[in-house]
Amino acid sequence: MRRREFFGFVAPSVLVMAGLLVLPLYQTIAWSLQRVNYGETGTFVGLDNYTHALTDPRFGQAVLFTVELTLVVVATLIVLGYLLATLVNGLGRSRPFVLGILLVSYVIPQVVGGAMFSWLFNSNFGGVLNFLLSTLLGQDILWFASTWPNRIMVALNTVWSMLPFAMLVILAGLQSVPEEVVEAAQIDGAPTWRLHWNVIIPTVRGTLGFVAIISIMDVLRAFDQLIALSPQAVQLGNESVMLYVFNVAFQDGGQQLGLGSAVNVLLIALICLMLYPFIRGIAREARHA
Amino acid sequence: MIRSRTRLTCLAVVAVAASLAVSACGAGSRTAAATAAQVDCQFTAPAQPVSVNVLAYNSSAVDPFTNTMVKSCTRDGVTVNHEPIDFAGQVQKTTATLAGATGTYDILENYGFVVPTQAAAGKLRPLDDLFAKYTAQYGLDRISPEMRKVMTYDGKLYALPMQAQMYVMAYRKDVFDQLGLKPPTTFAEMRDAATKIQAAGQIKYPIALPLLASSDIITAYDSAMGSLGANFVDPGSKTPNFDKPQAAQAFEALRSLLPFMDPQVATFDQPAVQQQIYNGGAAMAIMFSGRMNDLTQASNNRFASQMAFAAPPSVAGGDILYNTLSVDGWSIPANTKADPDMLFSIIASSVGPDSSKASVPAAFPARQGVLTESSSPYAAAALASITKAPPAEPYPWTSVISNEIRPVVADVILGKTSIPDGQAKMQQLATAVLKQYP
Amino acid sequence: MTTTTERTRAVADVVPAPPRKRWSARRYLVGGILVLTCWAMLSPVIWTAMSVTKPTDVAFLNPPVFFYQPSLQSFVDLWQTTQFYQYLINTLVVAVISTVVALLIGLPAAYALARMPGWISAVLLIAALIFRALPRFAVVLPMYDLSRALGIYDTTFAVAAALVAINQPFSIWLLRNFFAEIPKEVDEAAMMDGCNRVQTLVRVIIPLMGPGILTAGIFMFLFAFQEYLTATILTDINARTVPVFIATQLGQTLPMLQQAGAAAMLLTLPVIAFAFIAQRYLVAGLNAGSVKG
Repeated sequence: MRRREFFGFVAPSVLVMAGLLVLPLYQTIAWSLQRVNYGETGTFVGLDNYTHALTDPRFGQAVLFTVELTLVVVATLIVLGYLLATLVNGLGRSRPFVLGILLVSYVIPQVVGGAMFSWLFNSNFGGVLNFLLSTLLGQDILWFASTWPNRIMVALNTVWSMLPFAMLVILAGLQSVPEEVVEAAQIDGAPTWRLHWNVIIPTVRGTLGFVAIISIMDVLRAFDQLIALSPQAVQLGNESVMLYVFNVAFQDGGQQLGLGSAVNVLLIALICLMLYPFIRGIAREARHA
Repeated sequence: MIRSRTRLTCLAVVAVAASLAVSACGAGSRTAAATAAQVDCQFTAPAQPVSVNVLAYNSSAVDPFTNTMVKSCTRDGVTVNHEPIDFAGQVQKTTATLAGATGTYDILENYGFVVPTQAAAGKLRPLDDLFAKYTAQYGLDRISPEMRKVMTYDGKLYALPMQAQMYVMAYRKDVFDQLGLKPPTTFAEMRDAATKIQAAGQIKYPIALPLLASSDIITAYDSAMGSLGANFVDPGSKTPNFDKPQAAQAFEALRSLLPFMDPQVATFDQPAVQQQIYNGGAAMAIMFSGRMNDLTQASNNRFASQMAFAAPPSVAGGDILYNTLSVDGWSIPANTKADPDMLFSIIASSVGPDSSKASVPAAFPARQGVLTESSSPYAAAALASITKAPPAEPYPWTSVISNEIRPVVADVILGKTSIPDGQAKMQQLATAVLKQYP
Repeated sequence: MTTTTERTRAVADVVPAPPRKRWSARRYLVGGILVLTCWAMLSPVIWTAMSVTKPTDVAFLNPPVFFYQPSLQSFVDLWQTTQFYQYLINTLVVAVISTVVALLIGLPAAYALARMPGWISAVLLIAALIFRALPRFAVVLPMYDLSRALGIYDTTFAVAAALVAINQPFSIWLLRNFFAEIPKEVDEAAMMDGCNRVQTLVRVIIPLMGPGILTAGIFMFLFAFQEYLTATILTDINARTVPVFIATQLGQTLPMLQQAGAAAMLLTLPVIAFAFIAQRYLVAGLNAGSVKG
């Protein structure tokens, strides 16, 4: 491929990214150094917003909560996704049907899924699951007003909405595991767990990595589900970084757009940090492939 | 096998699509509820067709006014648009539309608490000239002067009042009668009644208050302080009152109710409190009067026939109740491009005699003489409540301070921060806000 | 590396391998686990469906009511008293436009990236990766300011444009891997026959990419269809989408709250049908090599 062709082909994409992503990002960085409101020219305040964010215990708590949620959810997604994919992969004619059902939670918008989920737990709105659990346990669990139950509920909801994607990608990966390798291992009489651990998992490592990257990206940005599931997020310490930005830069009237922008920049840095291993791998591959 | 299954799925999709297309015929056909009053909405037809966007949250008290506007004023090339939205949505959209040189909305549902802040920032259009011009045509002299005063800042009127909302206590007559209880008039009596109801064993959390940590909790705290006779800020010296004993007593009073309320109360807004009553989970609730009519509807509430109403109690005895008087009205944003005369005609016609009458019993209209004690099951309670509300604080800093201290108030009520620490923090936050208003 | 023909066949041939013979206790166990999982995954949807078909006065009753006379009244009310139809149209318009445009822009770029390795490609791919990971607010808040200044705030155009930008990096990523699976020899043969690059791409390569494009398209469509945050910030009344509508109804009182649940069901049912159709293509498409990491 000639250089001129290359540039012609990537030009529309680069233009869109430059105009609609890089430019707004530039604006965000500029705002992060200002005290500013929508539609107004701001005043330059240097790094004040960053100092404010970094010394605000609420921001620290938001980062901690978001990172913990990410780690727990991503690990759960990979384990459950792998198990579920293995089970589905062994299915015969019922497979399309089962897959269809399992995909449902993935195609429902997260904010809607969050609302549906909250109705399972909220005693004011039926709360069937809460009702069954409190009948069984003989005590009420404060899903919305107590830090850990609320975290569990939010994590469950996040897993619920993202598990189908993990399962689907891993399922696709499993199908490219050569049949002969599996059969050879079975003939050797290796136990099932050993077959998975020694043969299949190494083969689908790339796929698991892909699931990990996408899930890390998506959970770090957790926002939609918290609207319905954590009305008291700030008091519980269950505010995600994105929810923090929304609360300071939009919800309360956008008085602190500069602070919100600074937090956005910090979050981008955090995301790059967590994705660094993958970025290095891609750089190596893209140069040589 | 596979083929036929594909065809089945395709059929299903076609069926869903077809049913959507067919039912599209009736879509939106009842937007302005059939019950809305048809009134005379007079304005000079604009040269070009225009749409007028109205921002107003949905509740049974506000809907009659909004629906009247939409139904009566969509004519002569004018389309009045109103999209359903909840209260939190309205608050957020209001700030968004008022920021900057242009906004989406031409008419705002507004309330006395935030009007001074918006007016001081030049976000609203003063209405005095239009009010004078159209007084005769729409009988505006009958709109309560007290309520107009609440919507006045710096001598100018910034919102045309449509209704008042004040706290009313709803309680379950059957529960109270069975235990020989009377509606409480102080917090101490309320705790007593709640203790007896709890002891009877049927209802675990007898008291329901809207204490949503991101919204209602500050109104509750304001009401408690007000009942104890203290404002947020002393208007004369412009110093915050959070270091006064009343600030601490208000916290103690609200905290003293916690054992009688659902442990998740700080996640409840008013609709959630209504739901507690519907579920039979609470025996008494204190909310704005605009939410009361829903409780008397058998279509929502199995206990509708058992609901009774009273004025809210006072915190520690005395004439001022645990109460907030909120006046709702229509404002015109300063950044709208639409013809002000037309906009004012639209809002004035919605507060006319017919629509005000149609809003009863759900609302307490601003138009004088519309509501009487026999208008609704809770009208007597509302009339008793309105005269005993703490005075409003019509200053631009009031709503800003409320926003700032709200998280602290939530932390103190939830026991995360001690009362003295919370007071000190609030005093400091409020002082910082007041510095911006020399 | 699979060859093109094999891959195409593998995609067309969606009949899964017949189940291996296993002793039946194990099969029942697997079946049981899967049934339970499916039930757990569906339970929020089932419960919502029940809540919205209950009579209003017991809709959200606690302790919950399990047996009742079902009614579709809340659907009728939703349809007649709100502009739900319009929200649905807005959502579909935004989803379709942004999917088509993202694919049109993404295809040539992904092709070029797959065919010309080097540091420029590496930089672009990493940029795409980081853009895929960007927190929405970092781009959407400036877009909000910009769209108001340009007078395109609250239009489906603005939302679609934002979603093209936001979703395009992922489409490039997916598509690049599909292109990489097609041997360079195919291009060379086509160019020997006198095609130029564009013709090669349009006439030869893209037809080979059917399932890959479909997979990418399905993902783009789903992302756009579900998008809440971008739509809630960039729209107000004219371009409101269904997720935004539902989110603004969660604090409503009872009859309207039940309608919000009905709206959630109306949004969910078509995508469930969609999920049943899409699952085979997604597995086939992803299997075709897009996710080798």
